[in-house]
Amino acid sequence: MSTVWDPATLPADDNVDAYTFCVELTGSQWFLQKGKMTAYYGTIEFNGIGHGRLDRLVRTSFHSPLHASDWVVAEGSGKMLLADRAFDVNSYDLEEGNLTIRSGNLLAFQPSLALKQSIVPGFLTLIGTGKFVAASNGPVVFMEPPLRVDPQALVGWADCPSPCHHYDHGYMTGLLGGLRALTGLGGASGEEHQFEFVGAGTVLLQSSEALMPEQPTGAAPQQPGVPGGGAPGPQGAGPGTPRLPGQLGDLQRRFGL
Amino acid sequence: MFRLQGSKVLAVDLTGDAVKAKNGSMVAYDGQMSFKKLSGGGEGLRGMVTRRLTGEQMTVMEVKGHGTCWFADRAAEINLVTLRGDRLYVESSNFLAADAGLRTGTEFTGLRGASQGNGLFTTTVEGHGQAAVMSDGPAVVLRVSAQYPLTVDPGAYVAHQGNLRQSFQSGVTFRTLMGEGGGEAFQIRFEGDGLVYVQPSERNTIAGDV
Repeated sequence: MSTVWDPATLPADDNVDAYTFCVELTGSQWFLQKGKMTAYYGTIEFNGIGHGRLDRLVRTSFHSPLHASDWVVAEGSGKMLLADRAFDVNSYDLEEGNLTIRSGNLLAFQPSLALKQSIVPGFLTLIGTGKFVAASNGPVVFMEPPLRVDPQALVGWADCPSPCHHYDHGYMTGLLGGLRALTGLGGASGEEHQFEFVGAGTVLLQSSEALMPEQPTGAAPQQPGVPGGGAPGPQGAGPGTPRLPGQLGDLQRRFGL
Repeated sequence: MFRLQGSKVLAVDLTGDAVKAKNGSMVAYDGQMSFKKLSGGGEGLRGMVTRRLTGEQMTVMEVKGHGTCWFADRAAEINLVTLRGDRLYVESSNFLAADAGLRTGTEFTGLRGASQGNGLFTTTVEGHGQAAVMSDGPAVVLRVSAQYPLTVDPGAYVAHQGNLRQSFQSGVTFRTLMGEGGGEAFQIRFEGDGLVYVQPSERNTIAGDV
């Protein structure tokens, strides 16, 4: 027989089991992604953000107005259970820190944290002091840079090591390498591309390569110099000169000709 | 006797007695067993007609014999429920097995059922014995008492037992229509005395994105 919980025995701001997290509200507020509440005791109100009364809160701790419609503010007193498609959930504390996380993994956070869009598309950054809840496919492991990780296993990183792409060039370049990468003939291991982290900080990895579905993070402003902003740079970041007959362009570069 | 082997396999020890289980959920057995499909879930002609009419379809088999029989279904988590004369309400899709001595039936749930996307009817299990209920992720069992009413998301609701009143809450407001809904537009509120099983995952419901 499994444990029977009631408001007195449910933990406050802690995990009930690996898949369910309990938040205690005492007149306070939490931001949560739409539809992640499974049950609650007490009186709790859920309000979509982006209208009058919560305007100030959104201004101070929510900086991604374009995807505000995916978030709600829970307000009131009682205990609330959060869960997400039976994935592992965990809470993390930030103290005057910063953490960047894949948008699909973030479930809920305290308003004392500020949520901002990361420059890296598809990621969100939390800044400040407070608690947040994140979901992952399998338990999360914490690693220290320098480190190269598989793109599908990356959940996020804290205290800002520098994230960049890494390719196994010895394997990828040259005529044969290009053929291998394009066709998979001759054995591509599927691990030729990694994310590389250097510097001081922590990298969070999930213990599977099954990605959580992406949540929209909102479009970045359409400005030159903004990654993912969709506007080309002033000089035109695209192909500079028109291609001459006989030139292969990207393919040519790929095959090292 | 029901026991869990891991969290996703149910083992039932039989000594000449019988259990009702979801059709095709047997994964292994040891000893002598006979499997018989129960038309209409063993609820008689009336039950059969009711199920056909209500769409609360449940294909059940009766397993009888000596030995141990193991049941599992699509790697769903299994939760054991002990009934002492009270009544368990469970969606037919979440029902895995029950002692043959337990009576099963259908009941009208009204708007709650509709909000879960499971139809307007639910399955009841009643009597003395054990039942096994499936969920997506291990279910959290929450107690409801007079001073602690509970509100549940319809998509996460799995089952409940005891003497509970349920009411349907709608949070649909002017703002929902403006596209600024709270994301939890439909909720079920339980009051009274009993237990509610909530899974850590939400089914797709008509209200899922409201």
